Amino acid sequence: MTRTALRYLRLSLFLGGVGLHRLAAYRLDFVLGAGAFLVRVGIQTAVVGLVFRQVPAVGGWSYHEVLFLLGFSLLPRGLDHLFTDQLWELGRKLVQRGEFYRYLIRPVNPLFSLLSERFFHPDGLGELIVGAVLVFWAGSELGLDPTAAQWALAPLLVLCGALIHTAVKLFFASLSFWTVTSLPSMYAATQVSEFAAYPLDIYHSSLRALLTWVLPFAFTSYVPCVYLLTGDTGLLVWLPVVTAGAVLTALAVWRRGINRFDMTGS
Amino acid sequence: MTGSPPVIVAENLTKEFRVAERGPGLLGALATLFTREHRIVRAVDGVSFEIPAGSRTAYIGANGAGKSTTIKMLTGIMTPTSGRCLVAGIEPYRERQRNARSIGVVFGQRSQLWWDLSVPDSFRILRRIYDIPEPVYRRNLRLYRELLDIDALGTTPVRQLSLGQRMRAEIAASLLHDPAVVFWDEPTIGLDMVLKEAVRVLVNRANQELGTTVVLTSHDIGDIAAICDSALVVDRGRVVHQGTIQDLLRTADRRSVTFDHRDPLPLPAACEEIERGLPGVRASEDDGGRIRVDYPVAAFTSRQVLAFLLDRFDLADCYAPEPDLEDVLRRVYERDATESASPDQPAAPVESGAA
Amino acid sequence: MSAVTRARRYLPFATGGLQSLLQYRSMFFVTGVTAAAGAAVTVFLWRAVYAGSPGAGPGGFTAAGITTYLLVAQVLQVLHANRVDDEVAAEVYRGDVAVMLVRPVSYPLVRFAACLPVVAANALLVGVPVLLLFSFLVPMTAPTAGNAALFALSTLLSVLIAFCVNLLTGMTGFLTTNTWGVRMLKQSVVAFFAGQLVPIALMPGPLAAVAMALPFRGMVDGPLTLLLGRYEGVAGALGVLAQQAGWAVALAALSAVLWRAATGRLEVLGG
Repeated sequence: MTRTALRYLRLSLFLGGVGLHRLAAYRLDFVLGAGAFLVRVGIQTAVVGLVFRQVPAVGGWSYHEVLFLLGFSLLPRGLDHLFTDQLWELGRKLVQRGEFYRYLIRPVNPLFSLLSERFFHPDGLGELIVGAVLVFWAGSELGLDPTAAQWALAPLLVLCGALIHTAVKLFFASLSFWTVTSLPSMYAATQVSEFAAYPLDIYHSSLRALLTWVLPFAFTSYVPCVYLLTGDTGLLVWLPVVTAGAVLTALAVWRRGINRFDMTGS
Repeated sequence: MTGSPPVIVAENLTKEFRVAERGPGLLGALATLFTREHRIVRAVDGVSFEIPAGSRTAYIGANGAGKSTTIKMLTGIMTPTSGRCLVAGIEPYRERQRNARSIGVVFGQRSQLWWDLSVPDSFRILRRIYDIPEPVYRRNLRLYRELLDIDALGTTPVRQLSLGQRMRAEIAASLLHDPAVVFWDEPTIGLDMVLKEAVRVLVNRANQELGTTVVLTSHDIGDIAAICDSALVVDRGRVVHQGTIQDLLRTADRRSVTFDHRDPLPLPAACEEIERGLPGVRASEDDGGRIRVDYPVAAFTSRQVLAFLLDRFDLADCYAPEPDLEDVLRRVYERDATESASPDQPAAPVESGAA
Repeated sequence: MSAVTRARRYLPFATGGLQSLLQYRSMFFVTGVTAAAGAAVTVFLWRAVYAGSPGAGPGGFTAAGITTYLLVAQVLQVLHANRVDDEVAAEVYRGDVAVMLVRPVSYPLVRFAACLPVVAANALLVGVPVLLLFSFLVPMTAPTAGNAALFALSTLLSVLIAFCVNLLTGMTGFLTTNTWGVRMLKQSVVAFFAGQLVPIALMPGPLAAVAMALPFRGMVDGPLTLLLGRYEGVAGALGVLAQQAGWAVALAALSAVLWRAATGRLEVLGG
């Protein structure tokens, strides 16, 4: 058991090194990706700024609280991004072109084999850095003073959020085993995840329910932020359950998908 | 190869696919918006065979005989609908990771290398993934350097390599971890004679030194002849031939002999005389004043034909080439095609067309 | 050769585009979900802003007005998502454009023909349902017939501009393999400066001036200015249309020039 874990750890480090090496070879691409990402977050922040030019509070949230939420939402997203971006390729073309087979003929777990082709995606690093800057800046503007418990839980909250992002992505990417390509539905899911960057309170109740219990992106930012900002643990207790449920569901779909794969593509 | 225990066993191996029906053209595409009909196509139909350890076997069948599908089940990529197979004692689709250690795979049309990395980088990753011991890795790299000129591929990303270069890397990658069995599905190595020879040497070495079993499917007769020593011909579920390539050639229903024609008799007249004397035989002018005689094995023995020719002509120089493997296989393919076209048989499967 | 014969040559590409689109029928549903989700984010965000002002709020919008603006903006975005950028980028990357160069057709026009049915199908199968869905959920304003006609004309021009922008984006495939990053960049910049996320009227002066000067304004803010009657007289309406037409021509010319330069380079390099 530990030997397997150690083997995968060593492999991860090695393949991560390969990933970083690749970055150096495609420097322009990296700069473009990181730059595009910064522009995106910049525009998101600008939109929040423009909204708060008109009113002092939205749905009971102040400007800095919304920025805190926006920043925090980037952390689990970035962590997920760092390791699982190859899932986009699965949804896009690996089944369509029959290329997925190569993960089935290697003596490592197929999911690991797939993900490891793009470990340490640089866009993820950008998200983590920008997110952390936003969170700390907004937090200090708010005069936030977290308790020891909040400090201790914060990394776990980010980790669970990342796992939820990964699970949703894996779920929709795995649909490609049935639909040949599932890129559109992955886009749709990502688009829905954008809701998580703003306070849930402003949405229609049906949308709130969707984001909490169906595509549980609320647990990646809103729920943790409510806890970190106010200490309210109302929904927080559900976080482990939701995370486990999402991950297990996604893995089940992935496994069924693998067994369906026939390499013929389209 | 007699007496070797089988390294691959297939028992009643069957694979069915659901295929969506779609009408032609725009209307057909529009119709799929609202309905979607499926039909079941049986790509592999109850195939049973055994492949002895250490053999170099060509897996032969017509388009749609389910070659690729069978290979996909043997490599663990696909799970059979029914029946089962064993590779080195493992059911591949049940224990993919364990199976992966003992096999090497090349799918000619789809790369398994890292698209945007160089070949040496890909190999370094494979070394880690397969836990290849340092001495083995070094020995194999040295071999590839020597035989496949792998160094010439340099630091070019795989996606920028030519097909021949990529094939070299794919073949090397499939052997890098000293697998017990390698499966090469349409490796399209028929591109380059030099490369083909190198691959043959490589395979022979692995075969002799490590007892590696090779399973090849190919449309290229040259590839088959260069690499394989035995053939497994499958015709819709049944093994119709298993044995050496020579045995397969002996199943040819025609033989031929060619000789230099030196008689004063003009060539067309000579041909006519042969055809008159041996009814059912076809005699034709060949290049350079030669006559080629084709005779059905069912009607005449070689002895009868040669005796007739010796009797009538000045047979100073003659050639009796081996039956053409291509002809033999074409016959297998054609028989396959006519038989599977009969209405009570399942339709030809789709996999070969989509590959 | 008559223009009709010449145009006919592009017909197969148009039907082909539709055909390949219909193969993935779930795509429409998913595009709809994406559009609805995108619209919901901005609509709910801005409705929260206008919640406190019963009459005309910031920028002169009413709550129903801003809702209409943001929803129709999202629908326009769906019309503009013609997939020209990814397909051109992919074909450039794979080297397939070289094949196109030997055909007696112009590649940009082929792409245009292929994207028209995509635009029409998106409008019909995604745009209309999304608008209907939201009309049940939130109050919206109905336009006058004249404004609706102006909007229709303006939308056609916006589709042209979007095509050129996407073609130019796709052509970055000649320069970089990370067209994904370029496309994301384009998407963010266009969404913002077209006024899809924040109406240009709500931007601070200098930012609004920049947005008004850029071609993206003609993609969302232009048509919506006409739809909601937020213009001064006939001259105002014509001004919006003229600006759009000007940009459409300019971008088309730019695309043509750059395309010629890029393919010239391709021939030199031998694909």
